[in-house]
Amino acid sequence: MKVSWGRLGLVSLAGALLWAGKYNTTVDIGKKAPGFTKLPGADGKTWSLADFQEDVVVLVFLANHCPWVRGGDKDLLQLANEFRGKSVRVVGLGVNLRPDDMMPAMKEHAAKVGYNFLYLHDPTQEVGRQYGATRTPEFFVLNKERKIVYMGLLHNSPAQMMRDGAVHHANGEPTQHYVRDAVRAALAGKPAPVAETRAQGCTVEYATR
Amino acid sequence: MHGRVRDPLDSAVGQGSALSGQAGGLSHSLVLAAACLLAAGCYRPPPITLQPVNFDEFQRRLAALRGHVVVVDIWATWCLPCLERFPRMVEMHRRYRDRGVRFVSLSVDNREDQAAVEEARRFLQRQNASFDNYLLDENILQAFEKLDILGIPAVFLYDRAGRRRYRLTGDDPNHQFTEKDIEQAVQALSAPRDGG
Repeated sequence: MKVSWGRLGLVSLAGALLWAGKYNTTVDIGKKAPGFTKLPGADGKTWSLADFQEDVVVLVFLANHCPWVRGGDKDLLQLANEFRGKSVRVVGLGVNLRPDDMMPAMKEHAAKVGYNFLYLHDPTQEVGRQYGATRTPEFFVLNKERKIVYMGLLHNSPAQMMRDGAVHHANGEPTQHYVRDAVRAALAGKPAPVAETRAQGCTVEYATR
Repeated sequence: MHGRVRDPLDSAVGQGSALSGQAGGLSHSLVLAAACLLAAGCYRPPPITLQPVNFDEFQRRLAALRGHVVVVDIWATWCLPCLERFPRMVEMHRRYRDRGVRFVSLSVDNREDQAAVEEARRFLQRQNASFDNYLLDENILQAFEKLDILGIPAVFLYDRAGRRRYRLTGDDPNHQFTEKDIEQAVQALSAPRDGG
């Protein structure tokens, strides 16, 4: 038993050194972002990563049911609004397979909150696996070359929606806007000031295999 | 104290089995047990307390359990998979508590949110989680930083020497854990041959 654990540890360590970020077990900063093709959107169309011509893509893994997504919705909308008119594409992605996180619940949530960006679903969960996304919300910023330049939190004060609908930021007013800063840096062709943070939110529920 | 109310019922049935052939003794026990169940308030789940502790204090509480196999279930009321999984932990606790296995729940609900704390306590009460239940008194980001996990559900298992031997998390999409993994880990650590 000890031998097998040791082996497992070595394999994990080797894997971590080669591919993984500080927190993300699968992808790393500077690596090519995994692509995706023809994912159904809440807009009724299908979309591929290659469809987006903007200089910067912000991918955010979401889940309707999650209080950390609901709590962060307003901040997410604010981010999307901030880069309106700039060469930035914001894309929400759902990979959970619980009915309240799939279509048509996604359409309802997007309409209710007023998502002004694409909201796609991947019923195969492959996109989530390839990005190593384990939290909702979890952000990835891709530069013009579609390399990952940031991954993790939106900002340093994740927000949770309480049962009564009130929104509580864990650290009060956010003071470090990681995604915003990473997008601005990417637009200017510079590296993100902070490249990776520990995402905070609900777990992505992957089917075991 | 209330936790022991249940024992007379268990032992009455046990005694009845031991006295096989003495039908009188068995039926007498069953009548007593039935009467006891009918009487309002005879069986009450033990009152659940949710003890707020910071990370360091929690580590001290864990260290005090040395000599036992310890299963720590990290959860929160906002984590649906945690709630869905919890009954299985309670059920496992029932099966393993006499084998030197201690179950501990650690909620990362926001201590300042009284409604959430009360909801967590009520949930534990409904689940009859009659083990040590803690509420981690740390900012949520620091909580996960200190626990060194990306999120919950997560289950840590410690051997009798207090060493963490299993760290079951959802941190890797391709290595998710199931109830079976928890059960196998508990079995491996509580097996007599594991000196731990």
